[in-house]
Amino acid sequence: MSALRPRLVRATAEIAEGARIAVFALTGARLRSFLTTLGIVIGVMTVIAIVAIIQGLDRSFEAQMANLGANTLYANKWKWFTGADEWWEMRNRKNFGLPELHAVEAESTLATAVAPMAGQRALVTRLDKEIENVQVIGTSPRYLDTNGGSVAQGRFLSDPDVELSRNSAVLGADVAQRLFEGMRAEDAVGRKVMVRGIPFTVVGTMARRGRMLGMDLDVNVLVPYTTLLRDLGSRRSMTIAVATEPGKMSALEDELTGILRRVRRVPPEKKDDFALNRQDQVLKLYGQLTGALYGVAVGVGLITLVVGGIGIMNIMLVSVTERTREIGVRRALGARRRTILLQFLVESSVVAALGGAVGTALGLAVAQLVALVTPLAAAVTPSAVALGLGFSAGVGLLFGSWPAWRAARLDPVEALRYE
Amino acid sequence: MAGPLIEIEDLRRHYVVGGEVVHALDGVSFSIQRGEWVAIVGQSGSGKSTLMNLVGCLDTPTSGTYRLAGADVQGLHDDALADLRNREIGFVFQTFQLLPRASALANVELPLVYRGVSRRERRARAEAALVSVGLANRMHHRPNELSGGQRQRVAVARALVGEPSLLLADEPTGNLDSATGEEIMRLFDDLHRRGHTLLLVTHEPRLAARCPRAIRLSDGRVVGDGPGAEIAALGAARTARA
Repeated sequence: MSALRPRLVRATAEIAEGARIAVFALTGARLRSFLTTLGIVIGVMTVIAIVAIIQGLDRSFEAQMANLGANTLYANKWKWFTGADEWWEMRNRKNFGLPELHAVEAESTLATAVAPMAGQRALVTRLDKEIENVQVIGTSPRYLDTNGGSVAQGRFLSDPDVELSRNSAVLGADVAQRLFEGMRAEDAVGRKVMVRGIPFTVVGTMARRGRMLGMDLDVNVLVPYTTLLRDLGSRRSMTIAVATEPGKMSALEDELTGILRRVRRVPPEKKDDFALNRQDQVLKLYGQLTGALYGVAVGVGLITLVVGGIGIMNIMLVSVTERTREIGVRRALGARRRTILLQFLVESSVVAALGGAVGTALGLAVAQLVALVTPLAAAVTPSAVALGLGFSAGVGLLFGSWPAWRAARLDPVEALRYE
Repeated sequence: MAGPLIEIEDLRRHYVVGGEVVHALDGVSFSIQRGEWVAIVGQSGSGKSTLMNLVGCLDTPTSGTYRLAGADVQGLHDDALADLRNREIGFVFQTFQLLPRASALANVELPLVYRGVSRRERRARAEAALVSVGLANRMHHRPNELSGGQRQRVAVARALVGEPSLLLADEPTGNLDSATGEEIMRLFDDLHRRGHTLLLVTHEPRLAARCPRAIRLSDGRVVGDGPGAEIAALGAARTARA
């Protein structure tokens, strides 16, 4: 106790002294301090902003993923997210159509729901209102089981709608809102809209679903697939959404492969001429994408922090030279080398950490700004802030160590004489 | 405590400058008792600065022995020297050497910071030291708000605050006008009367003459050791002859 206490008092007094000097140096030479820490500020700002945006993306992505069934396979001739070379090969494959749909419906034992999705883009109008490029999806009542979503007003498509190829339509939330602007939501039900000039009766509207991967899930019109094929025709390949129970995805994949190879008459030696897409693929792609972004953020951050660190080192070397006599005095009064080292290390890390704090604040501001002016979201986590502060203080410590070491090994006699 | 405060025997300090050995101190011996007031006097180049650095434990000798308060100084490690300076030596410099951005009080507290004295005690002792040099109402001023004489008083307070065995003053009046210099010398007189051991390093025989004892250095050797007035006169005579 008696030996420890003075040492403790001494150490805390020395650290406090270093911090006080650092704050003084900062406030005393504002322009210089600003320029010194600019590198750190920009580095931390960049990293914080990018991390905040990525974390925001993560959150909205998680929400969006709820729109794709976790236990649903999407069978089509198209494989999701492929390069240009494969695209040509896939383009020449035979389209998916009713034979595939009927085969899967009839033969799959693992499927809990099967829904076709035949797509068209079309002009949708009502009186003088019109919306271009609306995704018109021909499907069945099973759509709700495979793709999720819920009805806001009226009802969803029914089996009779499909069997009788009725001109019934369920409007996406945006379509309903824009075509029936100024009316009560429930009044849309029972009214007519025109899809590519053909009248459809609105039987219901969907609840708002938001966006996913840049697609607006609320700008669509759902109609019976039978009606779509009859009235609008479809030159496009149909997607067959097949839902199963949790844990049965692999088994379902095997089963569907068998059914589809047979119905599409793929010779045994040939590869599948279709793809079974699933949510995981999106997750994987997303992971690669944000992984790359994180990499860029880390790279940019490291480079600017090194630049900032060199700035810190530079100013600390100047500071050591300027205060050579002060170092001599401190040594004469009983400061050990270690004490001088500690003092300058504290100073450089405090300077850097203050730069880091400013950078963190600016980075969060930038992220909020980005969130305001773009569809991207920004999420601020305490870990990002801690990371910014910790990193910058570390940089200060690292790049301050050489100047501090130089200060510590000054000869007291020469330091006192220094002019 | 028995024995002299300072015992120096055949102390040598050589420098190698441009391949040539310079004998800054070439076999110096003397001892100083506690409570003495001694001037080290000599022309520039006589080796008095080198001697001061050695006595102040800022430098280590090439050979010879130096005992401070009964303990051998030569061969001590850097940290041990720092601790020794902190405990045993109070420095007063020609150029004051105060920290410009710290108040008088903070400057005086500094040696106690390095000793690990608690904040409250530091404050109390620094205030007492400033009062003892007549700066009771200047404690919170920064050096640039003080006159030269006041700054040197702060430096003296800083040298005294740790109650060292030895007050080591290097040309303490060199940067002061004669009236202010005289004030500082009177302060030293006073400290001497109060029992402090003082070592004054100067090139001015006039100052050495005021000290009870003076040691004259020339070319790294002791050429005179005796009552201040005599030694100063010796120097004056030499200067006159030359």
